[in-house]
Amino acid sequence: MSEGVGVDLENVWIRFGDFVAVREANVQINGGEFFSFLGPSGCGKTTILRAVSGFLEPSDGNVLIGGNNMAGFGPNERPTALIFQNLALFPLMKVWENIAFSMEVRGASAGERRKRADELLDMIALSGQGDKLPSELSGGQKQRVAIARALCAEPDVLLLDEPLSALDLKLRQHMRSELREIQKRVGITFIYITHDQGEALTMSDSVAVMKAGIIDQIADGKSIYDDPATAFVASFVGENNVFRGKVKSVSKDSAIIETNRTGNLRARISSDNQGKLKVGDDAMMFIRPEALDISTNDTSSDTRIKARVTHSEFEGQSYHVFLEGTEGKEMKMSLINRGEDRMYERGKELYLDFDANQAVALPAGELASE
Amino acid sequence: MDAGFIKEFFKRNGVGMGWFLIIAVGFWVVVLIILPQISMFDFSFRNDLPPPEIGGPKDVYTLKNYQYLIFGADGNPDGYNKTDLAVFGKTLLAAAFVTILDLVLCYPIAYYLGQSTGGGMARLFVLLLIIPYWINEILRAFAFRIIFGDSGVINEMLMVIGIIDNPIDFVRENIALYAGLGYAYILLMIFPMYNVIESLDRNQIEAARDMGASWIKIHRRIVIPYAKPGISSGCTMVFMLSAGALAAPQILGGPSSLWFTQIIYQWFNQSVNWPQGSAFAAVLLVTCIIIVLGVMRLFNVNMGDIGK
Amino acid sequence: MKTDSLLIRIGLGFYLVLFFTYLLGPLVLMSITAFNSPSFPQATPWEVLTFEWFNVLYNDARIVNGIKNSFIIGFFTVILSVIMGLAGALVLTQIWPKIRATFYTIIIAPILIPGVVLGISTLVFWDRVNVMLGLPNDSFLHNGILLTVLGQSTFIASYCMLVFVARLQRYDLGLTEAALDLGATHTQAFRKIQLPFLAPAIGSASVLAFLASFENYNTTTFTFGKYPTLTIELAQKVRYGINPSISALAFIIVCLTVLFALVHEVRNRRVQLAIANGAPVGAVTSGFKLPKIFAGNPVAVVLALFVAVAVAVISYAQFYDPEPAKAIILQEKRAAQQLRIEELQRKLKDKRLQKNLKGPDIFNEGKSKIPKLEEKKQKTPFGSGIFSPNNLNKVAPGAETPAPAPKPASPFGSVFDPTNLNKVAPKE
Repeated sequence: MSEGVGVDLENVWIRFGDFVAVREANVQINGGEFFSFLGPSGCGKTTILRAVSGFLEPSDGNVLIGGNNMAGFGPNERPTALIFQNLALFPLMKVWENIAFSMEVRGASAGERRKRADELLDMIALSGQGDKLPSELSGGQKQRVAIARALCAEPDVLLLDEPLSALDLKLRQHMRSELREIQKRVGITFIYITHDQGEALTMSDSVAVMKAGIIDQIADGKSIYDDPATAFVASFVGENNVFRGKVKSVSKDSAIIETNRTGNLRARISSDNQGKLKVGDDAMMFIRPEALDISTNDTSSDTRIKARVTHSEFEGQSYHVFLEGTEGKEMKMSLINRGEDRMYERGKELYLDFDANQAVALPAGELASE
Repeated sequence: MDAGFIKEFFKRNGVGMGWFLIIAVGFWVVVLIILPQISMFDFSFRNDLPPPEIGGPKDVYTLKNYQYLIFGADGNPDGYNKTDLAVFGKTLLAAAFVTILDLVLCYPIAYYLGQSTGGGMARLFVLLLIIPYWINEILRAFAFRIIFGDSGVINEMLMVIGIIDNPIDFVRENIALYAGLGYAYILLMIFPMYNVIESLDRNQIEAARDMGASWIKIHRRIVIPYAKPGISSGCTMVFMLSAGALAAPQILGGPSSLWFTQIIYQWFNQSVNWPQGSAFAAVLLVTCIIIVLGVMRLFNVNMGDIGK
Repeated sequence: MKTDSLLIRIGLGFYLVLFFTYLLGPLVLMSITAFNSPSFPQATPWEVLTFEWFNVLYNDARIVNGIKNSFIIGFFTVILSVIMGLAGALVLTQIWPKIRATFYTIIIAPILIPGVVLGISTLVFWDRVNVMLGLPNDSFLHNGILLTVLGQSTFIASYCMLVFVARLQRYDLGLTEAALDLGATHTQAFRKIQLPFLAPAIGSASVLAFLASFENYNTTTFTFGKYPTLTIELAQKVRYGINPSISALAFIIVCLTVLFALVHEVRNRRVQLAIANGAPVGAVTSGFKLPKIFAGNPVAVVLALFVAVAVAVISYAQFYDPEPAKAIILQEKRAAQQLRIEELQRKLKDKRLQKNLKGPDIFNEGKSKIPKLEEKKQKTPFGSGIFSPNNLNKVAPGAETPAPAPKPASPFGSVFDPTNLNKVAPKE
């Protein structure tokens, strides 16, 4: 796995005038890894990609590819290939000419180029379509041509800038597995930019979550979801019920939070924050909807919440129950559909249990806006 | 910041392309546009000297070329150079008249084309508009000379109908000139207006009509304010070109009426007094620029709208 | 409300007709005069269909030379303006924002600067340069072709720039970035990606530049030196005397323009239709599928008609001989003229008599009017233009005798051009 070429960002700052687009980014991407930058639009993830591909130079810090400092190297001198958000297929060239463009500029003969283009067309399952123009292809086909064109340049690192965002849902899901498949086959490093957490979590070996120019957390998908480092990550990735409050007591890996409206609740401290939370700090506690369950016990506990149903939704694989706690605190609970009817009526009072290990206590911070 | 821009410029274009762009643009802007204009202004402040004396002791700056335009030759009994100043004023007025004529003529067409759905007819009309513009300026003037001549179609027709007994001298009355100039610049008036009106949402007009606005009101309150950049762009171009026209006045102008450009032409080609001609040209240029800037300020339009 | 909009529609239709009459009428009338035999270009009265003016035109060495110069100048102007206009547009899209407005103002200014000013400044500037370099008076810097190319390119490049800016606005810079990313150098990215994208704009800018150069008068008139262009020659001819050979030239130019415009339009239309139908463009542009093009395309119909008429006229001209008809007309005209002269003389007599009968005030007025009347009437051949030398030529069958008038200062005052006289005179 680690035979590919890695990419390192060392203390990278990127400024446009007074605006700081990327603040002190430190990232190590291993060779052969599928690495994603995940964040809302405008968070600076595309800027990082452009700094890696060479379209802009960092204001401070270094970009290293395969251990070599890339400062002063233009995009045409770096071993990277970028797949643009709008794909940027050359509209006046045929599909095969598009694919073999990188060979054309290196001076390869037409025969060679055609041969390689046909190989790649086979790989992306578009055999025989080489003589069409890009405008004659469907969205998914264009997507695959863009990938083939980038791979034809034999890059050490493939950069993908939200390449699936223009596709419809079905195709997007199909392309996810296809991309992952291709990455496994060619074995080079993929750096993937997306605002879609589903894409990031399903495809990536590692994910960096970004907010307003700052990288909040770099980890594999499971850690990002289960063990978020900041309140932003917890609220941006997946759904979460948030409880604000103050730290009442702390042990090594768990804390009791005195929430504003729901009483004292116990939660695990996320691994990045262990030892950092102090008694009296402003804190936030997150419980995933699927971590909540209906209790048969009605005694009060620090892993139990009393709430009243406002409405229920049935979504096939699960039921979503929306509740209101004391003073109108809104919560959501998701229950797996195991054949029982979980459509609770409005006004029904329930006690909800959770496992303190599945609840996360974090220092208070900015949440992702809905 | 400046150095950063230049660095970025070369980064974006590469060294070869970057230099090519800088040389091509530099040649155009500096050698073809700026230096010749400066040179003309410089020349207008000099004495008319034979070549051997250029650079000699007599080659000093003087205001006499401008003084001539205002006061006439030394010892002029009138005090002012009435002939040339009158021609200058008349040229500007006539150019303004041609501009207004074109505006009135073209607005309905621009509106019609801009608001039509772009079917075959509208495309044909656009083509018909463009074709005369591709015909040589001289030939267009020539056509008008034929039409407005004493034995031209218009005189013949009027005489056949019996409105007049004797041919009207359209050339002497300058009607031929105005018609010819107006004709020459129709396209430059229509297209800027057409481009703007085309982008006007038809629903706005529908809505106004729905609310019971009259046609006049719709145009005054909705279409004209919206088309203002196009209107002023068209007017600017037509005015500048009419004031600077030379061929049409030479061909269609009556014997009594001179165009200011014709006087400039005479200084260069008949009197061969280049500094004097340069001074007149400089006055024409500066006046036109002032008028255009004034109009743009008045209508609150900026340079970016010109040439759209 | 209904009648109101109907009225507006009728009014608009009427206005459209009027407007396009103003627009196209002059060209049509001018074209007609090319086929009428009188030596002063006139559409009415129609005398005899003739093609002789095309011959006159063809044999006019100055015109032919002018065309040659125009093409040389046009060629170099196109190259220079397209290059400068393209560079200007490219720089404009990426120039430092703070100076963008200033830069735009400078490169758009030549369109607004009067053409004479451009011509003068070019002439004066290069003369200065010449003096500064200490070159002789007839150095290359005084070459009419060079000066004209430079003077014209100054403003024609602005037109080209506008064409390129319009096209560049639709260009996705991501394409250049993609090419760079795939290893292309900046030059390769420009040549292989951006330039092909700009190709249509280069085409239209070239056509525009050539037309603008070809028809330019105001600038060229100061810079042409020893190389008069067609436009300059035409202006001289038109100013110092006109004959229908200019109409013949105009007719040819009108035809070429119309043909070109129609072909262009039809091609555009086909491509658009193809795109609208979702068909690949290549399929439509290669095969010539006539019937389909005509559907809903009045321009194509006009083009077809136009070509048909042109073919008919040209083939007709091959064996058409206007001379017999012309002789008849001349006879008729002579007779009619005689009648008119008599009638006119009688009228004048009557008028004088009448005036004499009236009071002294009117008498004075009348007296001053009469000579004016005569003077004006001379100009209309069909009225009483008996005193016009042109008409003398036409009327007299044996007009080989040169016109009595002295040659005008300009030798190409075409009315007195010997070749024209030959044409005017009936052949044996």
